[in-house]
Parts: sequence; C-alpha cells; structure tokens
Amino acid sequence: MIGKRNLLYVAAAAMLASTGLAQAKTVCYVNAADSHAYATPANEALQERAKELKIEILSLSQDFDVQKGTEQLNTCVARGVDGIILWPLDPQAYIPGLARAQQAEIPAILINSPMGEEAKPFVTSFTGPDVYEEGEMAADALNEALGGEGSVVIIAGQAGNGTTIGRVGGFEDRLKEIGSGIKVLDTVNADFDQQKALVVSRDLITRFGDELDGVYANDDTMARGFIDAWKEANPSKPTPPIVGINGQKDAFESIRTGEMHATIVQSPVEDGRLAIETMARILDGEEVKDRLPIPLTVVTKENVESVEPAF
Amino acid sequence: MTEGVVDIARMKPGDRFTRGSKVVDALSKAGLLIAILAVILYGSIANAAFFSTGNFLNVLTSMSIVGIVVVGMTFVLVVGGLADLSVPATIACGAILSLGLQPMIGPVPSFMVAVALAGAIGLLNGVLVGYFGVNPIIATLGVGTIGLGIVQAAVGGVIVYGTNPASAELVKGRLFGIPVVAIIFAAIAILGHIILSRSFWGRWTLATGGNYSAAEASAVPVRAVKAGAFVITGLAAGISGGLLGLTLQSARPLVGTGYEFSAITAVVVGGVSIIGGFGSVPRAIAGLVFVQLLTNVMVLEGVRTPVQGFVLGALIVCAVGMDAALRKRGGA
Amino acid sequence: MRYVSLALQYRVPIILGLTLIISAMLVPGYVSATTLSLGLDRAATIGLIAIGLTVLLIAGQIDLSAGSVFALAGIVSIMLQPQLGILPAAAAGVVVGMVAGAINGALVVGLKVHSLVLTLATMLIFRSIAHWITDSQPVTGTDIMFSLALAQIYLDVFTVRSALFVAFILLLHFWLTRTIPGRNVFAVGSNAVAAEESGIASGRILFFGFVFAGTLAGLAGVLQSLVTNTGSPVFGSTLIVTVIAAVVVGGTRIEGGKGSALGTLGGVLTIGALTVAMEFQSVPAYVQQVVSGFILILLVVLDRTVSTRRKATASRPSLVQGNPIKQGGSA
Repeated sequence: MIGKRNLLYVAAAAMLASTGLAQAKTVCYVNAADSHAYATPANEALQERAKELKIEILSLSQDFDVQKGTEQLNTCVARGVDGIILWPLDPQAYIPGLARAQQAEIPAILINSPMGEEAKPFVTSFTGPDVYEEGEMAADALNEALGGEGSVVIIAGQAGNGTTIGRVGGFEDRLKEIGSGIKVLDTVNADFDQQKALVVSRDLITRFGDELDGVYANDDTMARGFIDAWKEANPSKPTPPIVGINGQKDAFESIRTGEMHATIVQSPVEDGRLAIETMARILDGEEVKDRLPIPLTVVTKENVESVEPAF
Repeated sequence: MTEGVVDIARMKPGDRFTRGSKVVDALSKAGLLIAILAVILYGSIANAAFFSTGNFLNVLTSMSIVGIVVVGMTFVLVVGGLADLSVPATIACGAILSLGLQPMIGPVPSFMVAVALAGAIGLLNGVLVGYFGVNPIIATLGVGTIGLGIVQAAVGGVIVYGTNPASAELVKGRLFGIPVVAIIFAAIAILGHIILSRSFWGRWTLATGGNYSAAEASAVPVRAVKAGAFVITGLAAGISGGLLGLTLQSARPLVGTGYEFSAITAVVVGGVSIIGGFGSVPRAIAGLVFVQLLTNVMVLEGVRTPVQGFVLGALIVCAVGMDAALRKRGGA
Repeated sequence: MRYVSLALQYRVPIILGLTLIISAMLVPGYVSATTLSLGLDRAATIGLIAIGLTVLLIAGQIDLSAGSVFALAGIVSIMLQPQLGILPAAAAGVVVGMVAGAINGALVVGLKVHSLVLTLATMLIFRSIAHWITDSQPVTGTDIMFSLALAQIYLDVFTVRSALFVAFILLLHFWLTRTIPGRNVFAVGSNAVAAEESGIASGRILFFGFVFAGTLAGLAGVLQSLVTNTGSPVFGSTLIVTVIAAVVVGGTRIEGGKGSALGTLGGVLTIGALTVAMEFQSVPAYVQQVVSGFILILLVVLDRTVSTRRKATASRPSLVQGNPIKQGGSA
C-alpha cells in the first residue's frame, strides 16, 4: 500500500520535473472571471507580462463564485506553485485557504480588491485599485458637484458582492467623514446590469421626482441605465449630476455631452501588470510594500480629453 | 418526472378534463384580476406617484422585454415542456449579434440573423426534447450552458456597443404616445394568443400537453408540436434579446441572466399549469402584469431588495397553491 | 452490437475512466494522491447536495432551493457561534437545512403543487432571508484555527467533508437497494398511483425526501462555512445547476423511478475529475462550461438510447411510460 503510494509520488514528481518546472516559476492566478469587460483585459495584461517575465501562469477562473474560489486556492496549494495571485470577491472567505498557502510557504498577493484586516497576516501585498477608495472618491466628486448638500440615490451592484460592499461603504463613510449635507434617499441593487438599472431608475424617478439632486452608480453601465430612464421621463430636462465608476468609453461620451458628471478610471491593464510584476519581485526575494495602488483618476468635463478610457 | 405526483395520485381519470371547466377557469381568472386591482388600489393610496400615466408607461415598457419571452414560455409550459432554461443564452445571442453584426450587414439583417440563430438554438432544444425524449430541464440546461459558453468564448470580455443610433431611436421611440417596444410586445402577444387559442397548432399544443398518448393516437404530430414550443421560445427570446440590445446600445454575454426565472414566474402566477395541457397567453400576461405592478409598488415604497425577493417567492407559492385548490374543488 | 449495449449500460464508469485516462495523459502531475484528495474535496460540496437530490429525483421530484439552503444554513452556523459555540451552532445550521426541507416537503405534499415551481419560489424566499439576516454582508466565524483543522487531509486522501460524502453515499446505496423504504422511493417515483394503491404512503415518502435533501444541503453549507470561516448570502448561487448535472450524468432520471447512489458517485467524481483536470491546464471557464454541457447532453441522449433499446421489444404502453409528460397526462 505504502509502496504503491510512493510510486505515485515518484511518478508525479517525474511528470512535474519533465514540464520544466525547475527553470520557470509557476504562479497561480485565481481571477474573478474569464469573460468580463474589466477582468478580461486585466487577465490578458497579466498573462502577457508574465510571459515577458518568464513566469508560467496557472489561471483559474472563479466566474464570480466565491465558493469556487475558496476551493481553487486549495488547488493552487496542492499544485505546489511558487506564488498565488488572488482576486478576492469576499472580504473573509479566503482566509483559511491563504493560511494553508502560508503553511506551504507559498507567497500570496491580492489583486484588484482588498480583504478584511484579518487577512493581512496571510498576504504579502495588495496591488491595484481599492474599491473602498473609489467609493470615497465618488463621494468627493458628488459632494463637490452638489455643493455639499442635496438628496441622492445610490444604484448599487449585487447585494453581498465585495465590490458593491466596498463602493457603497466607501461612499457613505466618506460623506460622514467630511460632514457633507448630502442625504442618501435610498440604495437599490441593480446587479451591475444596465437593464435592471434602467428599470429601478424609472421607479426611483417616479418616486422621488424633483427631490432627486444627484446619483451615484456603482459602475458606469448602471449610470447609463439611469440616464436612459431620465431621458424617457424628462426629455427636455438636463440630468442631475451622476457619478459612476470604471471609466468606460460610453461614460466618457456622456461626460462630454454633460449627461454624466464624473467617472473614476482604473486601468485594467495596469491592474494586471502591477500584480504580476509585484509577484515577480517577491519571487526574486525582494521586499515589497503591503499596499501598491494603481492610479485612480476622477474624470470630469475638465480632463475628459486628456485621459484614456479604461475599456 | 411525475409532476405533482401526489396530485396525480389523488386524481381519478377524467379529472384532468374538468381542470379546464368554465367555473374553475372563471374563478382563477377573476382571482388574478382582483389581485391586480388590489395592487393598483393599494399603490394609488400608498403613493401619489403610482397612479399616473408616466408610471404606467414605465411599467409597460419595463415588462415588454420579458413579456415577449413570457409568450414563448407559455407555449413550453402548455405543451408539457416544463420550462426552457436556455433563455439567458438565447437572449444573449439576440442582443450580441443584433449589435455586433451591425457594422458588417446593417441593423435590420443583423436583427434577423440574431433572431434566426436564437431560433436555431430553440430548434436544438426542441429536437432533444421532442425527438430524443430528453427531459426539457436537462436538455435546455445543457444547451443553455453550451450556448452561453460559446457566446462568451466568441465575445471574450468585450462589451459590444451598437453602431447605429437610428435603430436605437426607433426602438426607444414612441408611436401615438405608446413606447415602440410595448407595441412590438403587444403584437407578439396577440399573435401568440391567436396561434395558441385559434389555430390548429394551438389545439395540437393543448392536446399534446393534456394527454400525450391520446394526442398521438389521434394523429397529432406530437413530437413536432413539442419541438415547436421550444423553437417559438427561442425565437421570442431572440427578439427580446435583440430589442434589449438595441435599447441599451450595449450587450454583454450575461445580459439575459435571470430572464428564464422571471418568465416562468409570470407564467405560473398567471395560473398556467406546469403539468401542461392548460393555459393561455392572456393568463400568462395577467400574471406578468401582476408581478410587475407589485414590484413597481414595492420599489416606489422603498421596500428593500431582499424583501422584494421574499414577497415574490411567497406570491408564487400562493398562486400555485390557490390554483391547485381551485382545481381540486372544480374537479369534485 | 452486444458490446455497444454493454458499453451504453456502463457509460458512467466508462466516462469516468476515460476522463481519468485522458487527464492523466494530457495533464502533467495529475496522477497523485494530492490530486485525488483535491478532487474528492472539490466533489464533496456538490456531492453532499447530490446525495439528497438523488433521492428526490428518484422519487420524481426536484429541489431548486438547495443552493439557497446551503447559504442560509452556513450563515446560521456562523452567526450563532458566539452564543452557542462552534459545534452546537453547526448543528443549528444543519437543523435550519432540515426545517427548510420540511417546508419544501410540506408545501409540495400539502398543496399538491409541482416541486419545480414550488422550490423555485422557496429558492427566492430562502435566499432573501439569507440577505435579510446578514444585511447582505458576509459574516465571519470566531475561530479560524477550527477552519484549518477541518480542512486537514487524513490518510493522504480524505478531508472531513470528502470522508462524510463517501460514507453517506455508501450508506445511501445500501439504503436504496437493500431496504424496503429505499425501494419504495423507486415505486413512488415510477408510478405514484400504483405505489399508493399497493399501500405505500407516497406523501410521507416525498415529505421525508425533501427533509433529507434539505438536511444534506444544510450540512454541505455548514461545512463550507466552517471551512471558509465565513457565511455569505451569495454562497451557492450557481451550485444547483452543477449538482443537477452531476446527478443526471450519474444516470439518475429526472423523470423519477430510476437512479442509483453509485451512479451519483460516478457523476460527481466525473465532474470533479474533469474540473480539476481542466483547471490544471488553465482552461477558461467558458470552455469548461461547453465541455460539461456537452457531456451532460451526451450522457442523457445515451441514456435515452439505452432505454429505447431495452424497451424496443416491450409493449407500446411501456414506451409511453418512459416519458414524464405522457405519464402525467395519462393519469
């Protein structure tokens, strides 16, 4: 029995060796999804840079399912990779998996979204934009546009989703922090979906009518949904100040025409690149900072011509 | 699946035919109408903004896209096909192709190609269900998974944008004050109603769903009829997806997520039997109207999203429970 | 010809064997004890829910709410930890699953409605409750060390969950094939009227079928939450599709009356082996979808072919019986 098992190990080791694992380092990349407007370019940028750095990427896609991701972490550990890049979709659930990676002495970093404080001891670094910070920046932008007072609605992403939690939390906390007079009338979930945002926006416009002074949408697609609903209801009235996030092409167009007040650009390409570059430095034995941000740019009418849209 | 096993166990032969009896029919129809009126009444009292042309037009526009799918789904349920779970794939196909092909072949041909391909997916479902005897849940689940996978592989992560603003204006526009999508929805609903209640195909559909072997014995082409219901749903979802793409002017592979359940909910709340053999397009649409008005009132009243889901779930339980109770009484 | 029908009959082990052989040839490092333990652990969550669903499908019913019950039970087991301690809270979570199953069962049997529609409704309801009690935020457990201990690998192969899964599926196999209540499930599933007439309390069997399925979905959810030290209202939202696929790939008929525990084991392992193999090769998620969808359709079509072959010599009515809708219609 034991002999048989050893034989298996030997076979496995031989196979691993024959793939050339000895020369190239392998990094496990647990990404958010394979087919997504932001995630795909980020994944591609990461893969491309990895090739230049001569790092093998083992790419696993969570498809926006946290549970899948927690299990994929085990796969990474079992594969004995040299490093793990995790795109967390939940602030907590990956901690045991990351702890197991640490036990196996595999360094792990987070890309794109942060996790809770408790995760800090288990990750070497967190690179990328911070969804919480984006929420804060959106609060500042909307606060400025409204002159510090008025009533707004938040069109949020999926309930329970990490990005939604960060972007809504950052927004609300920041308003409190700066003592803004802005009142949040309601927060509704439209699941990052333009059609759902269109439908809830129609209802919000009917419900609040002239009370509505501004809108904060968790992403630009949902902001688009609100704009369409507004145009249906009030074809001649200009839209109230709307702030979105992501910096999509059509959001830039809306900012130019004045339909939208601002969006926040984060570049998926930089996001992906920074993560793999950081991992490469870790693998080379360098010390890295525990927080490496990518630039976030608030885009308004003033700078819309000088900034590149994210996608 | 022996649907409603208990149901069947307690029923004597012949019960099935009383299900369509006039009294029960009238009762359950009236029940839904009363429910709709109650929602309207409550909404008007609770919220000043509810009873207005603007709001009703909103509800009408919002329900049109899913409404087109509801018309198709009615055929699937009536023919005894349980449900079509491939709707997200067919909607995505409709939305992405009708926008993505615009630069190559122009808006109208793109729309046609998109709908045709969605219909082809429906045909694949239909062949598997009707001719191979595969359970509809499994067939449509499998085909839907494959379809969505292919769409995602083809599109990658890109958002497909529209390039023909004129077509968007047309779809978003109004004719005599009525939104164009609502007119298209109404036309499809009327067509569906005529086919189901006035044509030989409708008779065949009802017969096949009601008693498959009897229908087969009386020379109804049961396999084709069954397959046809899935083709109809495929086409409807394709049209719906195309319109969705044109109104939004952007499409992603997951654009149709959740539409299958919304459509099934509406049809079931409308009192269409999931066992097949009974139901009509107006009933399904009444179910849709009720669900949409209720959701509208809840959003206007600021009810939180999770609570809305709870209410919707409870509503389905009540609707099917009441339907079952009425059926039993009607049969006794 | 005989080989063909033999091959068709043993299609589940064949497809599992093929998956393993092809994976072993194409995927470097696939053949190892770690892969086995990994595959088993990945399969355990799906597998535990699949055990419950196997019984329900054999009885001719379905439960779409399993994914929501999974999330809800996990949340409860985490939320109650400070008050009750870890193990009692876990037990409470499993009880939540049991209660959810009992609600499903009582409504299906009591209202005499189709379980497809009813569990669609309770799926929405349980998911809403999960969002409600957590305010849509994930909740964290008290002791991360417990999570780590729970994910420990024993005997080089088993984790607690995968051992539970294998043990339960063997028990289920014994129960379904060797005991009278187990056989009655088949009777209810293939012909409820006849079962009722021969003195089987089909209502009670169905009710307990739902309770059983709910309990297992709850158990799977509790284990998941304990392993991740987190309860989240979004857990398990896409789970049920995979579970249905695994059970059906294992040869259990969604129409009822036919199926086996070992078949489900085969189906779950096939899906697990396939997922791990494709992930080892960085196959994109959408390609994985296409592959698993294709296998699902292929196996079901093969299943139909087998039953048509076997019934070719039988009388016409028995052909009719193969189809759910016809059966419903002729009752």
